[in-house]
Amino acid sequence: MPQVMLKDLAFARSGDKGDVCNVGVMAMTRSIYEFLIKELTPERVKGHFKGMVKGDVEVYHMPNIDSIELVLRRSLGGGATCTLRFDQTGKSMCTAVLRMTLDADDRLVQEAREASKAILERYGC
Amino acid sequence: MKQVNIGSGSAYWGDLLEPAVEMADRSDVHYIGFDHLAELTMALLNRMKSKNPSGGYIPDIIPWMKKMLPVAVPKGIKVLTNAGGANPEQAAVEVEKIIRDLKIGDVKIGVVSGDDILPYLKEIRNEGWKFKNLDTGEEDIDRIEDRIVAANAYIGADLIIEELKNGADLIITGRVSDNALFVGPLMHEFGWNFTPEYTERIAAAVTVGHIIECAACVTGGMSNMWRVSERPWEIGYPIAEVYENGDAVITKTPESGGIVNQWTVKEHLLYEVRDPHNYLMPDGIADFTSLRLEEVGRNRVKVTNMSGKERPDTLKVCIGFRDGYIGEGLAFFPWPNALEKAQWAEKWIRERFKVLGVRFDELRIDYVGVNMLHDEVAPLDDRDYNEVGLRIAGKAKTREEAEVIRREATHLWTMGPIGASFGAPMNVRGVIALWPSLVPRDAVRTESRLLEVKA
Repeated sequence: MPQVMLKDLAFARSGDKGDVCNVGVMAMTRSIYEFLIKELTPERVKGHFKGMVKGDVEVYHMPNIDSIELVLRRSLGGGATCTLRFDQTGKSMCTAVLRMTLDADDRLVQEAREASKAILERYGC
Repeated sequence: MKQVNIGSGSAYWGDLLEPAVEMADRSDVHYIGFDHLAELTMALLNRMKSKNPSGGYIPDIIPWMKKMLPVAVPKGIKVLTNAGGANPEQAAVEVEKIIRDLKIGDVKIGVVSGDDILPYLKEIRNEGWKFKNLDTGEEDIDRIEDRIVAANAYIGADLIIEELKNGADLIITGRVSDNALFVGPLMHEFGWNFTPEYTERIAAAVTVGHIIECAACVTGGMSNMWRVSERPWEIGYPIAEVYENGDAVITKTPESGGIVNQWTVKEHLLYEVRDPHNYLMPDGIADFTSLRLEEVGRNRVKVTNMSGKERPDTLKVCIGFRDGYIGEGLAFFPWPNALEKAQWAEKWIRERFKVLGVRFDELRIDYVGVNMLHDEVAPLDDRDYNEVGLRIAGKAKTREEAEVIRREATHLWTMGPIGASFGAPMNVRGVIALWPSLVPRDAVRTESRLLEVKA
């Protein structure tokens, strides 16, 4: 199985509410979404973040928009107003998630590459 | 079918103003909602008000209204803003002066306040309510009670609707939920109320409000679409065209820059949400897992099939309390061996703290350009970096102790490895920590009035 980084399969955006960081992961296609809901388990995500996420990880599936909401508790050093983190509001956590390495088959990797290219072509100005 | 067009004019205190003015000028919106309040903002505004009783609102409201009202009022566009902050009454008085000066005609201002529960926090507790911390699970606020500086409930759209009914052209509020600035006008226009008949449509309004309430964040700002966003330096703010059945089209100001597509809408649907089945707002609980998105044109995304549940009996309350001081320092080290120099400097400063015998509640040291943002998830490699920064941040109970961090970091400039560079020193800052909790809706003493300004 080839290894693929999540950044090549999905987009992500993160934000904060207190000491909770949330990361929305948007799969580039339906079959990538179906692959990701099996891969992005709370245990895997928490393990990926090592010591950065001190609380529980919750995972919510949103098949209507092929997206997954990750909720990372106690991950922002106490929250924006009192954290020592430079990134006080967890805006960069989304790309930290995209560093996850997954075992994906070639077909999926190719599909993601085409989807990514299509997005640039479709909206490119 | 009746259609109401509502736009977003601001996402935070300090946001760009021009896109909001352009929206009023170039689009056919009926309402524009301005959010200025982040979680910490109310605590800062309360502090301003305690120093000066006629302060405590977002000062931006003055230049903002000077630019907005002459465009919005003649077109009949109604403006809603929570820039009243900790002092909506005084903000209204200031805006009244602007309206008279500008001679833009009669304007009715609806003023909504009463979100500040600090004056009667004790009474609510005496009645047996516990302010459980939603983040940490701590049962009540005993530990922080003597350090509380602010307690504001996130109130809903009820009084916005009432003042719109009374004919308000402009609504100025305190800590009204950002979301209610959009739900209020929609409920008013469509004649919806909080009976079960309208629950699904109010949930749709909550969803639409969520999608547009952070202004540029759904039109190409903070986006994975950054490469394909058109003229992002002239970004347009979002507009929702909402239909009476609850469906909506998300778009932006005509001719503006930025981008609206399925990805920017998804980005914002997912943004700052915990459980997407239950997006709790004071006016309703939205379920983001039923809706459908469809691109129906250039920069146009249709949202249908939105759903949800009726509003909760409690309101979110944000309690701010003093929590020590943060001291920071920063130095940069150049090639060659930049990372090794930064590591040397880290050891130096840690040893200095030992020599001085100071201990901090928390200390954090980052290598800027290496792992400051991704921390343990960032792989460390052994390349010879062009430059690496060392950022030292620590928290202490007193200002004096926090000052030690700042001062010792500056010594790195003269005592550190060769080439150490620095910018302007950073000031020590007082910390206001937040205690997120809930309060019974009925316990919050909200109020509103209509101020008629004859120009």
